[in-house]
Amino acid sequence: MNVMTKTKAEEGASHIYEPIPCEIVSKRDLTPLEKLFRIEMPDGRELGQRPGQFVQVSILGYGEAPISISSSPTKRGYFELGVRNAGTLTGELHKLNVGDKIGIRGPFGTYFDVEKLAGKDLVLIAGGCGLAPMRSLIQYCQDRPSEFGKLTILYGAKTPEDRLYKEDLIEWNESSVFACSYAVDGVPAGGCFNEGQVGLITVLIPPLELDVKNTVAVIVGPPIMYRFVIAELKKKGLAEDQIVVSLERYMKCGVGKCGHCAIEHLYCCLDGPVFWLNQVSSLKGAI
Amino acid sequence: MKRAKTEELKTFFESLSDKYDLRVPVKLHDGTRVLGSLSEGEFAIEGGKIPQKPTSVFFPQFDEMFVVTDGDVAMAKPPAKPIMVVGMTAEDLDCLEFIDKFFAENFRDNIYYNKRDGSVVVGVSGRCGKDGEFMKIAGGKCDIELISDGECFIVHPYTDKGEGLVEKLQADECGCGGVHMEALRKESDALPKEDEETVDKASELIRQGKVTDEFWDEIATRCIACTSCNLACPTCTCFEVYDRERDGKMVRQRIWDSCQLDGFMREASGHNPSGKQLQRTRRRIHHKLAADVERWGHRTCMLCGRCDEVCPTEIGIKSVCREIVKRFS
Repeated sequence: MNVMTKTKAEEGASHIYEPIPCEIVSKRDLTPLEKLFRIEMPDGRELGQRPGQFVQVSILGYGEAPISISSSPTKRGYFELGVRNAGTLTGELHKLNVGDKIGIRGPFGTYFDVEKLAGKDLVLIAGGCGLAPMRSLIQYCQDRPSEFGKLTILYGAKTPEDRLYKEDLIEWNESSVFACSYAVDGVPAGGCFNEGQVGLITVLIPPLELDVKNTVAVIVGPPIMYRFVIAELKKKGLAEDQIVVSLERYMKCGVGKCGHCAIEHLYCCLDGPVFWLNQVSSLKGAI
Repeated sequence: MKRAKTEELKTFFESLSDKYDLRVPVKLHDGTRVLGSLSEGEFAIEGGKIPQKPTSVFFPQFDEMFVVTDGDVAMAKPPAKPIMVVGMTAEDLDCLEFIDKFFAENFRDNIYYNKRDGSVVVGVSGRCGKDGEFMKIAGGKCDIELISDGECFIVHPYTDKGEGLVEKLQADECGCGGVHMEALRKESDALPKEDEETVDKASELIRQGKVTDEFWDEIATRCIACTSCNLACPTCTCFEVYDRERDGKMVRQRIWDSCQLDGFMREASGHNPSGKQLQRTRRRIHHKLAADVERWGHRTCMLCGRCDEVCPTEIGIKSVCREIVKRFS
């Protein structure tokens, strides 16, 4: 059921629910639960995404799910999706192989506005799977470091093994572009973690030396993480208009119609997933 | 304007059935009034609003998005014949106006507009409500309005398409020089406005943050999550998407969903922003009366009353609004 050959979209028609068949050109394990898929559009086309956006991934017979794009638009000719096997669609996606096709709609949603972030010191804070969308911004910064001020990456995961993009974490840490601090909640018996601290991601914030007036923090992570990280950032003097969050919600359409991702008057798929904190901090259930 | 008897209207609609997919009020054998074809039951233009949500003609409970045959994807196409829906009340037309806007905004929903584009909408009002009660005159928002004076219907076209169709109607001219219509308009304007005032006041109180979580919790304990409110509401547009195999083909379809179900917002990670009944009950009312005011500039409960009529525990939107106004004013 996963084979898609051609659609009317390839013939130039426009339909918001029409998936475009795209090819998996590489697939590798990130952790036992997560895989990274590199995808190519038909006929060498570019997806045209901005950092922080998402696509709706279709496998015919198994439905559709929103997946964050984890590569930067500066990487030409392909895009990447880091996917946790967590549901029906993602379970089937994990079974697919290089050469198989999946349906793609998008890119959708708001993005990390690199023009507004230009010249700013950025503190990029990701927890767990939040590194997938954050990686699109990190790669962008890595490819265009002169557009920004000081670049700091904070990443936390449950255990050393649970960390995503381990090779990237090493590369970013060794790069002169970023100052990196990593943490893990805990280390299993017999294990070790030499690349950072053992503790929640919030332990990485107090030691930061920030030029508060010129700093923007960007946060992507599990829902529980936001309020604690935001509290630490506020202690450092950052205001809500200096904090960007990317929120995750259940979505079926990606285009503001199905209603599942509503946060009061906002739709996470249309008005988000990337918000300035002051857009959502007063909305019930947002953070 | 023409003034038509019920039988003349029936003949008129019958004559259009070749060109249009007719959805007129008909009475089924069990007495239920639904929107259907004239072959399904007795023409029943009188009797007030149709119990089912009339916007379902353009946003049906099940709708095909595309069909895949041997790898070829065929997107849903417009119907072979355009839809003509008859019997929308003034409140229903307000609902239709809103969901037209909702499905057009940002991304135009092709599935909805496949049916809506080219359609004809006929409203009904005047002295033809349940037990003869007077129904508000819409005064627009449709191609033709049928305004009952208790004996016949004044046939008022509002669009070029409506005028073209009414030309074919075999009926006498009213011949009163507009006096008759003016009297009906005055009667419409004089209809009680308590519901509107109550819902507007409740909307204001919610938006001012005066309605407490304790109140929502009380209402929530009375909700049995039957989802009737969502299923009956003409401005509820939430849907789920499923893939199904049918005759060796794969069909992707959308199906109405309900924000009153606990899995409505549950993510694959298990995180559920509406995991508590309180949150779901609050959302049902808050969305229509506060969130949509913020987003669209107006509430999206148009006072049709269907949720109040179907709710088995009497927590439809008007009922809850009355409690809000009583408690928090």
